[in-house]
Amino acid sequence: MKRRELIKNVALMMGGALSAPTLMAMDNWENALKPQVVGAAFSLTETQRKIVAEIAELIIPKTDTPGAKDVGVPGFIEMMLNDCYKAPEQQSFVEGLTSMERVKFLELNTDERRGVLKLLEQETKKVSGKITPFWRLMKELTLLGYFTSEAGIQSSFEYVQVPGKLENIKINPGQKSYAY
Amino acid sequence: MNLNIKANKNNTFDAIVVGSGMSGGFAAKELTERGLKVLMIERGHEIKHIEGYDTAMKQPWEIEHRGKTTNISAEERWANSRFWGLGSEEVVNHLTNDKENPYIEKRPFDWIRAYHTGGKSMHWGRQSYRWGKHDFEANAKEGVGVDWPIRYEDLEPWYTHVEKFVGVSGQKEGLAVLPDGHFLPPMPMFAPESYFRKVMADRLNRPVTIGRIANLTQPQDIHTSLGRASCQYRNKCQRGCPYGGYYSSLSGSIPAAMRTNRLSILHDSIVAEVIYDEQKKRASGVRIINQNTMKTEEFFAKIIFLNAGSINTAALMLNSKSNRFQNGFGNDSDQVGRNLMDHQLGSGAMASIDGFEDDYVFGQRPNALYIPRFRNWGNDKQTSYLRGFGYQGGASREGWDRGANQDGFGEDFKNNMTKPGPWSIRIGGFGEILPNPNNRIYLDSEKKDKWGIPMIVTDAAFVENDWAMRKDIVASAVEMLETAGFKNVTPYDRPTHMGLGIHDMGTARMGRDPKTSVLNAFNQVHDCKNVFVTDGAAMASSSCVNPSITYMALTARAADFAVKAMKKKEL
Repeated sequence: MKRRELIKNVALMMGGALSAPTLMAMDNWENALKPQVVGAAFSLTETQRKIVAEIAELIIPKTDTPGAKDVGVPGFIEMMLNDCYKAPEQQSFVEGLTSMERVKFLELNTDERRGVLKLLEQETKKVSGKITPFWRLMKELTLLGYFTSEAGIQSSFEYVQVPGKLENIKINPGQKSYAY
Repeated sequence: MNLNIKANKNNTFDAIVVGSGMSGGFAAKELTERGLKVLMIERGHEIKHIEGYDTAMKQPWEIEHRGKTTNISAEERWANSRFWGLGSEEVVNHLTNDKENPYIEKRPFDWIRAYHTGGKSMHWGRQSYRWGKHDFEANAKEGVGVDWPIRYEDLEPWYTHVEKFVGVSGQKEGLAVLPDGHFLPPMPMFAPESYFRKVMADRLNRPVTIGRIANLTQPQDIHTSLGRASCQYRNKCQRGCPYGGYYSSLSGSIPAAMRTNRLSILHDSIVAEVIYDEQKKRASGVRIINQNTMKTEEFFAKIIFLNAGSINTAALMLNSKSNRFQNGFGNDSDQVGRNLMDHQLGSGAMASIDGFEDDYVFGQRPNALYIPRFRNWGNDKQTSYLRGFGYQGGASREGWDRGANQDGFGEDFKNNMTKPGPWSIRIGGFGEILPNPNNRIYLDSEKKDKWGIPMIVTDAAFVENDWAMRKDIVASAVEMLETAGFKNVTPYDRPTHMGLGIHDMGTARMGRDPKTSVLNAFNQVHDCKNVFVTDGAAMASSSCVNPSITYMALTARAADFAVKAMKKKEL
């Protein structure tokens, strides 16, 4: 019962914060990850959109700099999935969201949500195959959307549009990356 | 940029140049500078230098899909995006819509095209290496293909001529395998790269140098007089450079030709045929089809340079049939369209680098390291394959995108992604492909494109020599990165087709014997001396170095010969 242990570990890690129903729901993870039939066109429900936004914000939260929601990452993710990804990835994404719905993600508190994502991250490592899993899509697109957005770039990096020179330099303590 | 063609009542010029890319641009420059009135014919639309680079100054967030290819673009640009991802909004308007310009793949071939002013010279990797003496001699020594009718010494002054005009930055190394050229100051190596260079020299006796690249590190008068400025280290060359920091026909040869007032450019005009005058036994001109209006028109000249790109040049010759040339223009040898070569790439190794945490870089280097060929060179003898390969690659600090491959999310993770990551290194091989008459393009006997021109069929693939070399490219890359003490050394070998190197060449080769080759030592068609082919089609072998400056050097040499011959009334 490796899976069960993993879930327990997650629960321990979070100070036993997972509620019994959540644990049960997570115990059904395997079922939740089975392929679901989805329609030809990729579209998200309002609930799914909220889940995307909350997960994106957990990946890149608002701190003293803007968070994923502030810079429009949730809408960006949906646009990218529509425009640049084909049916298998779209389906994989919707399946992931469906399993999030099954664990009643939106009803969990922040710590519980983090626990679910940590588990998801570990589970994703076991997935092999050509189709990009949900967590991977979520994380890649959140990072891409955030760190290429205007506010994301300006607040995270030293943005230099025209460097004008190329030099080896020594790094300063706490130096941010250059972005170009 | 267009001059009024109607002003020339007879549609007659001293020279016609078919194509405006790397070699066509250079032909136009050399011929106009020697006093000829030249008509350059470009099949695609016009792009103006600077103002035509529509994405050049866009900020990252202004590129809607942030560099990814959309599904629509992937369908339209199926060859461009199949492996290269050349369908992104940064470049999509400058690479050819494959759906509108289809070709038939008997065997898969990634044919990357740029039908517009400047052609692929707007998009090239800018790596600029001279061939060595051995490259011109290998065919004869090994009994492969046909012997080159020229040697390094024939081309040497023309390499210098081209390098001065183009502006190539690089480090002199004094290596026979990679002859030095006329260089602008080299770009710097990064700290772990300098370490790598030292270890490779000490332990494996393999030189590592900074890439020799056609980006201006210190512009000279010859460059600034054309409005070109120093490289700004943005590394967004593929969008077109509004500073003229890198060389292209658009930033270099076409402006140079235009200032002579002897160049006319015709856009949107597909050359369908070379017109052969049976009485005079020479080519009299070309017939074009306007790609938008479908109108045909004929233009005439004393000499014609074919620089349409190796595949299109061969196709044009095959489609130009006359009583004299029933098998296609200049094709008595049946070699037109054959011996299609490229460079194989897509394999090598990568590794992570511990240390150098204090070292960082300001600016983006549009350049890489170069490791010259060391196989079948000197005392090295490989039993499983002929010729060799070079590596290109380099080290960099990882950016925010490393986050997708590592655990974590949330505040600390976010903060961490704003800092430079660890160094990593990657080197990938560029391998020589041998001429092989069975690797070829030909015209389909029935199917025609929307202009009524027979469709091109690609029929080429890697053979045993390539696969054996490929294995070694991977193994040697692993060996080198491990010898350097780098961590997590990981081989990679991405399956590719021919064509992906975007160095297609060889389809109308030079040679000594008209029975086995198409062109003579000055790139003249053996049996029709007033037609010159100086693009990649002319190549009798491929070396393993990037080919563009060799095409330009051959072009300049042929243009000089042509004008001298015309003055002596020999042409």
